[in-house]
Amino acid sequence: MKRIMIVDDEENIRLLYKEELEEEGFVVELAKNGHEALEKLPLFRPDLITLDIKMPGMDGIETLKRIRETERDLPVVMCSAYGEYKQDFTTWASDAYVVKCADLTELKNTIRRLLGL
Amino acid sequence: MAVHPAPYDLLKSIIDLSTSSMPIEAKLDGMLQGISRFLGSDRCLLVKPDEIGESGFLAHVSKERKPLWVNKESPLRGEQVLIEEQGLLCPTFACLPLYDDSILLGVLYIGFSEDRTFSSQEADLLLLIAKEMQWVIRSERAWGHAKRTKQLSTLWELSKALLTTVNFERIVEMTLTAITIGDGLGFNRAMIFLVNEKDRVLEGTMAVGPDDAEEAGRIWSSLSRKKETLLELITRLSPRSTSTLNSIVKGLRIPLEQEACILSRTVLEGRSFNIQLPQFEVGVESGSNRSSRTDSYREGWLQTRCEKGCHLGSEVGCYVGEHLGRDPRAYSFATVPLWGKGKVIGVILVDNLYNQNPITEEDIHFLSMFSNQAGLAIENALLYRNLEEVHQELKETQNLLIHREKMAAIGELCNSVAHEIKNPLVAIGGFARRLYREIPDGTPEKRYTQTIMIEVARLERILDDLFRYTRDESMAGQDCDLRDILEETLSMVSEKFDDRKVVVVKEFAQDLPKVHGDYQQLKQAFFNMIHNAYQAMDGEGRLSVRIRPLSKNGSSFVRVELEDTGKGIDPENLHNIFNPFYSTKESGLGLGLPIVHKIVLSHRGQIEVDNHPGEGVNFIITFPARPDATSVRGNGQARKQGRMAVSEKDQGEVPEKSLRSKTDEEDYDR
Repeated sequence: MKRIMIVDDEENIRLLYKEELEEEGFVVELAKNGHEALEKLPLFRPDLITLDIKMPGMDGIETLKRIRETERDLPVVMCSAYGEYKQDFTTWASDAYVVKCADLTELKNTIRRLLGL
Repeated sequence: MAVHPAPYDLLKSIIDLSTSSMPIEAKLDGMLQGISRFLGSDRCLLVKPDEIGESGFLAHVSKERKPLWVNKESPLRGEQVLIEEQGLLCPTFACLPLYDDSILLGVLYIGFSEDRTFSSQEADLLLLIAKEMQWVIRSERAWGHAKRTKQLSTLWELSKALLTTVNFERIVEMTLTAITIGDGLGFNRAMIFLVNEKDRVLEGTMAVGPDDAEEAGRIWSSLSRKKETLLELITRLSPRSTSTLNSIVKGLRIPLEQEACILSRTVLEGRSFNIQLPQFEVGVESGSNRSSRTDSYREGWLQTRCEKGCHLGSEVGCYVGEHLGRDPRAYSFATVPLWGKGKVIGVILVDNLYNQNPITEEDIHFLSMFSNQAGLAIENALLYRNLEEVHQELKETQNLLIHREKMAAIGELCNSVAHEIKNPLVAIGGFARRLYREIPDGTPEKRYTQTIMIEVARLERILDDLFRYTRDESMAGQDCDLRDILEETLSMVSEKFDDRKVVVVKEFAQDLPKVHGDYQQLKQAFFNMIHNAYQAMDGEGRLSVRIRPLSKNGSSFVRVELEDTGKGIDPENLHNIFNPFYSTKESGLGLGLPIVHKIVLSHRGQIEVDNHPGEGVNFIITFPARPDATSVRGNGQARKQGRMAVSEKDQGEVPEKSLRSKTDEEDYDR
């Protein structure tokens, strides 16, 4: 069973993603910002991580940088409300970029693709 | 023995001379010659007051105010003789003082080389002639005084007129009017050239003068009928700005650095020139000046001639001369510099083409006095005009800045609102979807949740549009094949409308240059347009998509046409279709076409609308093609890095300009 960590500051978004992804058969762990994600990372050892970009405290881009310092091969999906960071080269270190949408099909497809499922 | 004319004839000729219109020097000269002939005297002259010393016999005569008759019988009686008076000591001579009340006007001297006596008739005659000479000199003095007074008052009136406005055009107009009207300086025509310091040229600014003699006559007679003061006249008159002369002069540009051209020299040397031709002098100069008539030019006058014989000199000058006079070889004119504060700001050129009056030094003197006033007024007006222009520019820039700031503030607000709303919306929509899956088919709850889902999707779309429009999106630059983008977009849209009967006709050129731009943005633009077309056709119709290369003005372009058979655009709305938040559709924020417009502009493209209400619309988009890859080497590196961010800040606030009518389309095909 693949393990996925969801990092997002919005509680309802975290809940939605958790329920949807658990339904797809993933083990899901939540973190509400970059700090919490980095703390939980060695314990949970996810197979994939989704990172919201705009978060108070440590934002997604900073978190991505920190993750890449240790986890070079961990698939990371960047999530944001709009496509505004697509051109930002700092997000290129991630594996995918998904614009948030009520319809989670794109996110799920991206996750499956990155996990080779 | 010389035949002596009768005294009556002498008197008659003297009176004729004194009442003639000749210059005073000529009159007096003629009188002296007459006396000489009559008396057979050897010397006959008029000694001017400043030639008479403090003492000596001339001074004695002046002081006594009595004539002096000297011959053997009545020699000088102890009167002192100055060295310079030695030459006047003839065996017989007479000295008659000329007076105007207490002012000495001169002494009339008549000398004979042999001894003789003056008969009483001769003495009376000489006294009579002296009186006449006295009168001539006195009236000349009085007239000169009156003339100067009149000149000064004219100058005063003209200067006053110049103070009535700071408008540049009006000042120049009034200056030229003042120079040309009869009560002013009375030249036939006048032109002003102003110095353009930046280009170092003289630019024709304005000219006033009739185009032909007939018109000249008409103007003069109409003016003389009206009784107005000079000030009233000048401020009222507005010269005909459509005259041929004015349009010729306005087109003239004369380089300053040419020694041969008189207009340039007037500026460079800061002095006036009076260019007069020999034939104009005939019959004007007379008497003692007779000898100078045979000279082509007076000493000190300009003698530069160019090959064509134009007296303005230089090629450009010839052009001026040819146009200003009927025959450049018979053209007299004068120039005076226009002085601003400490520098020459231009030239006034005057002539008397129609009545061919000679331009005298006095005329030039008066013109110079006036042009000094005019120069200052014109310079002030110029400064004022510059100030106004700068002020206007500043105001416009300020307005633009305020507008931009406002737009930026609105954009920022929209952006943050869009962000704040997006997350809750995703949650609402996401959970609605979860509910939808749980609820059994056929229940009302199923329909309710479906409604929530659809509405949330719509809100999301609006937010995306808003976000895209208010954001200055940076452009990823890459070489795009528009055919690929259109294929992809067409399939995206047709998926959404798959059950409808829309025929898509594709006409794609085989050889097509690439377009440099952002793949995603271009896709977005075409998506919006194709989506609109499907909506306009309401499920049934034909969508023609044409792509072909285009060559215009030596540059190559890619032209895309998207033609639908929908309802077309209501002509009333046509001018607003690219304005944000202007929607005629029942749903949506009206950002579809504004986004298209923004994207096209940021790709330095152009968009046209060929609208046929009720039949359909043809959108024609033209993008500049990418130059051959081989010719642009620097780009290889950019492509290696994968992406190149290009930030284009194109406001694109005047979409109307991009709207063209059907006829304009032909321009492209040429």
